[in-house]
Formats: sequence, structure tokens, C-alpha cells
Amino acid sequence: MLGKLLDKFCFNTLFLVGFVLVLGMMQLSSVLKKGEGEKMTETKPVLPLAIGEWTRSDSPKTVTAENIFDYMNGAGELYLGYRFDRCDVYEYRAESQKEILVELYQMKTSDDAFGLLSLDWGGTAVDLDPGSLKADRTDAIWPRALYGEGLLRLRSGRIYARVMATQETPESREAVLSLGRAVLQGRESFSHPKLLETLPEVLSTGWELRRDRASYFRTHLVLNSLYYLSHQNILDLDLACEAVATLYEKEDSAQKRTRIQFLLVKYPDGKRAREGLARFSAAYLPEHPFVSGPGDSWEAMDTVSLEDGWMAYKLQGKRIFFVFECPDRKTARTLMEEFN
Amino acid sequence: MPKNWTTLTRRDFLKGAVGTAVGASVAGPDFLKATKTPPAASLVTIVRNADAMDASNAVDSSVLKGMLDQTLTKFTGKATPKEAWLSLVTLDDTIGLVPTPHLNPTHSEVVDAVKTSLVAAGIPENKIVDAQGGPDKPKACTALIGLPGLKAHWLTGIGTVMKLYIMYSGSPRSYHDQNSAKLGEIWNYPFVKGKTKLVLVDALHPLCDKGPQVDPRYKWPYNGLIAGSDPVAVESVCLRIIMEKRKALRGEDWPLSPPPLCLEAADKTYGLGTSSWDNIRVEHFGWSDDLLLG
Repeated sequence: MLGKLLDKFCFNTLFLVGFVLVLGMMQLSSVLKKGEGEKMTETKPVLPLAIGEWTRSDSPKTVTAENIFDYMNGAGELYLGYRFDRCDVYEYRAESQKEILVELYQMKTSDDAFGLLSLDWGGTAVDLDPGSLKADRTDAIWPRALYGEGLLRLRSGRIYARVMATQETPESREAVLSLGRAVLQGRESFSHPKLLETLPEVLSTGWELRRDRASYFRTHLVLNSLYYLSHQNILDLDLACEAVATLYEKEDSAQKRTRIQFLLVKYPDGKRAREGLARFSAAYLPEHPFVSGPGDSWEAMDTVSLEDGWMAYKLQGKRIFFVFECPDRKTARTLMEEFN
Repeated sequence: MPKNWTTLTRRDFLKGAVGTAVGASVAGPDFLKATKTPPAASLVTIVRNADAMDASNAVDSSVLKGMLDQTLTKFTGKATPKEAWLSLVTLDDTIGLVPTPHLNPTHSEVVDAVKTSLVAAGIPENKIVDAQGGPDKPKACTALIGLPGLKAHWLTGIGTVMKLYIMYSGSPRSYHDQNSAKLGEIWNYPFVKGKTKLVLVDALHPLCDKGPQVDPRYKWPYNGLIAGSDPVAVESVCLRIIMEKRKALRGEDWPLSPPPLCLEAADKTYGLGTSSWDNIRVEHFGWSDDLLLG
């Protein structure tokens, strides 16, 4: 009898220890897989089969890098311009209303999901916490969900979602926002790319950050949609790079708003940064060629007068800072000195 | 560093040197390039009706039919739609209709209206085919009617007329990126060249940013049909409308980015028509609110 009890005790203990070990290994595995921009465990969104008048089919259509152009033609380049994994597409249909499309873009990092939303900060920021639709919390630095005329765009961890009513009605608006809440249910993973923290809100010279124009990206195709430099990839950008483009504005003596274009690129290493700058200057500044030197800590700064004002760049390790369309050389140089 | 990295940049646009630069930046066999001088002046008509769509953006087919009839007669100078069609195509033609297939697609009502109008003009129904798709589609046609939807495009600036035939290339992705400037060469493929008899742009509910994926904030009821036989002139008018709408939305200049190189190249390199506003004659009929022609 005692022997049986001991056996059972040993079995239960071993089972418990084994279970804990497996859990621990799973957790460790999860942590090990997480890279930059992936800081929290993510729950897969579960969308309701019915919302208001609308119902959906049981399973989504899955779009991958292999078939993305069949699904959305050239728009696919946008998602491949970030670290894209797949997209699950749900269509909700109703008898008396037009359809609602839900696209859940699963990105490889939360930074990439952030980047997609950051391409357009327009629309109304909405708080999708269950039970409230008030304006976004004032403590949120970067909006998480934006709504406009039937389209809700949101980010949650590694997911970027588009929920769009083909026709906006009071009912479809409520359904779209409810679907947004369903996407966020149980997911509290919000973060923004660390690179954005490089951007000062206000510079000592009075230039103010236009947060609503700050976009995070990785490739030259996306850069060109924000600020055109060349159809060619003259900065040698790719998915291993990170970049931010935004505006800084200031009111001049005539109370007119003046703006400058800011661009920051972070390469995987200093060598790539130096090569990127050399490539840029060869294409964009042939009269001011930058010659790459040896060593990982190579730094450089220059100001150049161009057709649309003064530009400046500063190479600093892995990063290159650029300002374009500055009113004068002093401004360009001062700005460069402020960015670190 | 490879020497061919020197290339077309923003500065070329600022210097006003784009025409030459685009010409130099696109390469290809001579047969794809211009073989004739574009016409001195190209007519583009814009017909609008405020009632073309209702408040829910549903198209009124009877109003649309009237707009199409007016477009045909005003563009050709003929008395009736039938005469107009028969000045553009023949009864023997196999006519391919080429709509924008999806993502802000051409309204099906527009395609249906054109088909009905062609049949009414005496074209046998079985000689009117859907010609959107791979290269076999235009090969099966002797005449093409382009029916693009008006939209901005995040890769090419504008994604309306010149982009309409991208599937005819058989490799659409090879025209993304810097190669979008080459879109015009598709119009000079032997099985495409000279077949386009009319470009009729569905400008009922255009998209002025973020295309081709739809963002309803950038769509608006223009309620128009834009027509011409010079695809470059038609695209130029479309571009003007898109640019003016963007300016109106933001209250300041909001340049298309990237700039639509394909338009300049279609004119300067491929000789498909004129992109010079001075050489485009725009005639407008009907509703004139927010015409957006600058």
C-alpha cells in the first residue's frame, strides 16, 4: 500500500517537475526567439464569427510573401518593405450592409507593425479599451488605433491591422470598432521603435518635431513614398536597416511656418553606414563626394547648398543623420550638432 | 563602388532636367521607343454630373449612360454615340475592354455602360471581350478601350492610365521601383501598339493617396468621366486632378511621392502622347464644382 502511494507520489512529482521544465523551456524558447521590438508574449487575435449584422466564414484567407501580389498588386511591395510574415484576411458580409474587410498583417517585429501605422498618422485616434471610445489617452505618445471614414488602422505588438467598412454607416462604424477591440483583446503589447527616441521634441534653436509626420521604415521604396530622393536605392537601404523621416518646423519672424526635412538611417554596422553615405553622396552630391575611411568609429559631417536649400549630413557610427531644405548653412550645421 | 549608381534624383527634378534625365535613364530596344512626334495638341474631355452617384456612392446607371453618350459625342465631334464609336472602331474589330481589375477598380457600371453602348452601335456582343490580364488578352484583340480607375499609387505616383497595361508585360513586378518609368514601353509592344482607340477614365470616385490599397479618407466623389485618345494627355489631366485634390485636402502643396516618372517617359521616350499642359486641350462639360484643374 505504502509502496503504491510512494510510486504515485514519485510519478506525480516527476510529472509536475517535467511539466514545469517544459513550461520553462517554452518560455525560454519564446524569449530566445524575441528580437528587437518583440518584448511580450502575444496572444493570437480571435475574431467573432458574427458582429452585428455581419458574419464571416470559418477560416481566413492567408496571404504570404509568395502570393501577396495576387492579393493586392503593387501594394504588396509596401508590406514586403517591412519584415512581413503573413496576412490573414477575413470578410464579413451582411444582408443589408456592404462588407467589412479585416486584414491582420503579422509582422516579424512590433517595430514593423508600428512602421506601417506610422506612414499616416491621420484620422482620429481612438481608444479601443472595452467599454470606451473616448479619445486616445493623453499619456499615449504614439496613437495605437486610428479611425477615418470607415477604416480603422491599428497596431498591437507584431500585428498591424486594417479593418475597413466598404461603406461607412453608424452600424458599420460600431462593427469596425468592435472588431478592432477583438483584435486587441488580451493583447497589451505596445511599444515603439527605440530609434524614434533619437528625435528631440524641440531643438534649442526652436525647431519643433512634427510627430504627426514621423514615419519609421526600412527600405527606399517606402522612403520614396515619404520623401523622394531617387528611384534608385542610393542609401543602400534594406530590411536590416531602420530609418525615420519627419519634419521639424519653426515660425519665422514673419510668423510663417518654415519646415525642414529630417531623415535618420541606422545601418546594421558602421561599415554599411559608411558605404551607404558614400553611395548617397556619389548619386546625390557628386560635387561633394564623401570618401569612406578605415575604422569603425569613422565620423563625418558636411553641409551642402542645393537647389532647394541647404542640406547637411552627419555620420556617427552606424547612423547617418540628414536634414534637407534648411534656410541657411548655419541652421543646417546647428541642427546636425543637436542630433545625437 | 559601381559607377552606374549615379542616377536620377530629386535634384534633377529641382533643376528641371527631368525630361532629359528620364530619357537617359530608361533603356530598351529601339522598337519600344518613340517612332513619331506626339500630336501638337491633344483633346481631353471631362464630363461630370453631380448625380452620377448617390450619397452612399452607388452609381446611377441612367445618369452614367448620359455622361458616356456626351463623352463620346463631344470627344469625336459626331452627332450620336453610334457614329462616335464607329469613328473609333470598326464592325470587324474584336474590341478589348481593359478596366482596372481590383483595388479601387473601375466601376462595373462603367464597363457595362461601354459594352451596352458598343452593342447599340452595332458591334456584335461576342466581339467585345474583357482584355485585362496577361499578354494573350491584347493579342486576341484588334482594338482596345482603356477603362482605368483614377487613383494615386504609392509606387509610381499615379496608377491610372500608363499602369493599366502592366499585366500585358507578363512580369508586372519588373515595372515596380525605378523601372516604373518604363511602363510606357508596354504600350509599344507589337501586340499592343496602335490598338488603343480610346482611354475612358472612371473618375467617379477617385483615390488621391495611398493607392492602390483603398483608404476611404482619400476618396471623393468627383463624378466624372475623362476621355481622350492620347493616353499621356489623359494621364496628365488625371495627375492634375489628383494633385489639386491633395492640395485642397491639406491646404498646402502635397507633392506626389514618388513623382510619376512614367508620365514624362511616356512622352519623351516612348512617344505615346504629350505631357505638356500647353499642348493639351481640356474641354469640360456638366457639373463644374471642384473641377480641380488649377
